[in-house]
Amino acid sequence: MIVEAKNIVKRYAERIALDHFSMEVYEGEILGLLGPNGCGKTTAINCILSLLNFDKGEIKVFGKKMTPSSYDIKRKIGLVPQEVSVFENLTVRENIDYFCGLYVDDKYERKKYVEEAIEFVDLKDYVRFYPKKLSGGLKRRLNIACGIVHKPKLIFLDEPTVAVDAQSRNFILEGIKRLNGEGSTVVYTTHYLEEAEMLCSRIIIMDNGKDIVSGTTEELKAMITASEKIVVSFINIEDKIINLMNSIPHVIDIERNGEDFIIKFENGINNLSNLLSFITEHNLTYTKLYSKLPTLNDVFLELTGKELRD
Amino acid sequence: MSNIIRNCMYQGKNLFREGSLLFWSVIYPIILAVLFYAAFNGIMDSSLDDINIGIEESNEIFHVLEEMDFINVHIITENEVYEKLDNEEIDAFIDSNLNLTVDESGINQTIIKEVVEEIKQIIKLNRPIDGFEFFVSYVQGKNQEANSFVVIFYSLIAMVSTYGIYAGIETASLVQANLSNLGIRINVTPLKKQNFLIAGVIVSLLMNLFANTVLLLFINYILKIHLCSDLKHSAVFILLGNLFGVILGVFIGVSNKKSMSVKTLIAIVVTLLLSFLSGMMGPWIKIMIDKYIPLLARINPISIISNNLYRINLLGSTKSVGEGAVILLFYCIVLLFLSYIFLRRKNNDSL
Repeated sequence: MIVEAKNIVKRYAERIALDHFSMEVYEGEILGLLGPNGCGKTTAINCILSLLNFDKGEIKVFGKKMTPSSYDIKRKIGLVPQEVSVFENLTVRENIDYFCGLYVDDKYERKKYVEEAIEFVDLKDYVRFYPKKLSGGLKRRLNIACGIVHKPKLIFLDEPTVAVDAQSRNFILEGIKRLNGEGSTVVYTTHYLEEAEMLCSRIIIMDNGKDIVSGTTEELKAMITASEKIVVSFINIEDKIINLMNSIPHVIDIERNGEDFIIKFENGINNLSNLLSFITEHNLTYTKLYSKLPTLNDVFLELTGKELRD
Repeated sequence: MSNIIRNCMYQGKNLFREGSLLFWSVIYPIILAVLFYAAFNGIMDSSLDDINIGIEESNEIFHVLEEMDFINVHIITENEVYEKLDNEEIDAFIDSNLNLTVDESGINQTIIKEVVEEIKQIIKLNRPIDGFEFFVSYVQGKNQEANSFVVIFYSLIAMVSTYGIYAGIETASLVQANLSNLGIRINVTPLKKQNFLIAGVIVSLLMNLFANTVLLLFINYILKIHLCSDLKHSAVFILLGNLFGVILGVFIGVSNKKSMSVKTLIAIVVTLLLSFLSGMMGPWIKIMIDKYIPLLARINPISIISNNLYRINLLGSTKSVGEGAVILLFYCIVLLFLSYIFLRRKNNDSL
């Protein structure tokens, strides 16, 4: 285990930012911290990195207690902060070289690392540019390069794709996968469901400073009652037929949304074929019919009673 | 050590490329110098007239003053003092205890004060007064246009030498996670905060010294006002003034959790207050403080810098150089130590 945080409580005056929050990070994984804005993701990272005091709990990183002067631990860590954090009056290459030099003393090794980082984020055409001359996406890439240039064993990426265009976002996500492939353990905070689902080998869902649940995407989806939703639009359906649909095996709820009926099924097989049999049996006509597998948003909705996108 | 040098290099590049900082530390003082020059140019051409001193005949230094070419001695009684001062027949009156009574402040009054102080010291040391060349020491020997408006330029240099306060605050903010995004990143690296700060102090000091040098060269070669006749002693105070400014900035930066704008406001208030008390906004304040709280003038860092530059170059007196330098150095060491205490192993309650 690389990071172990147990029952962390962090208060800002009357507000609780972290409420007995716990998390573990295992070597080689990409752990996603998923939750809405303000749920405590960044606070959790700041506490782990000893940037913030906390009121209760215990944090160990690489098996040791993390303090502001844990320089040996800090050597193994890379941080990509939520906000672009670079020197505005240093060029792209100078910024990357500066941060690399805080970890790597050897000049030749440093040069090699800097070149590799520039290559990694594909900024070779911009090495002489100052950050203010870069677009938002390119700045984010520079922000990432400064955090990973020393090839850390553990990387914290705090919402690195916020306010980034689709092309840059894909580039960043692919890059994170490559970093993980090269042996880095990654902690990735996001409020984007799709990113967490696509990228993370394990996810911790957070809300109101609490770790609600953790597991792989499949494990999380298996936790919810409605494991499948089928959306269907009928032509001239009677109310008594709608009520009869509740007798279809595994149906747990039927929701009407305009012309569409959202039929929720609990865990089970043949849900779609059972519904089609019911339609045939009652001579129903429909204009559209499709099945929706549960998303992380459904998981969040069921666990917290609200949408992650709220 | 190599870490500090590397930090100096990159922080230096970052600071020297900051256009606004360069403007305020290099261009703005030059603009002020030009404005002062334009405003007072005509007056500055005036030369030193003889100084009229009122004194009683029984005074022990009467004959000493009589020997001085640049002083016109007027024998008067104590009852006539205020009338003569009001009528501007005399610039100052020296009583039997060698205390000075003046009606206004100016170069003549300052020279008389320095002369009297020197005489007091010579008497204390039981040295013969007769052989002492006061005129050489105070007026001629310095080859300096004797006029009160040169003082403004010394004040300007004193003010600019403490401008490092802003670079000091900037450096302190860069290393604190609760003040800047860059601070968050730097605090996660294995770089020790004190190394970053030491590099920041060195760079800020060099930048401000560069700004001072540009200003002095401009005043000397473009405006043709020769302020530094004693470069060696002047450099001591310019250097210490710069060091004090930068370290005060670092102290303000690390000693509280206020935002950058509040810290800058604190810096402005502190420098303005110290400048005000040193008489930069009007000589009457300086006279009041010299009269009622002389200790304040001796411990106010900006007073120390401007008074010493003035004394060294305009009056040719180096007697307070040692004391002034020691006090400034003491401030620097105390502020640096306190800054270190504030920074040591600090993490934050909020970011």
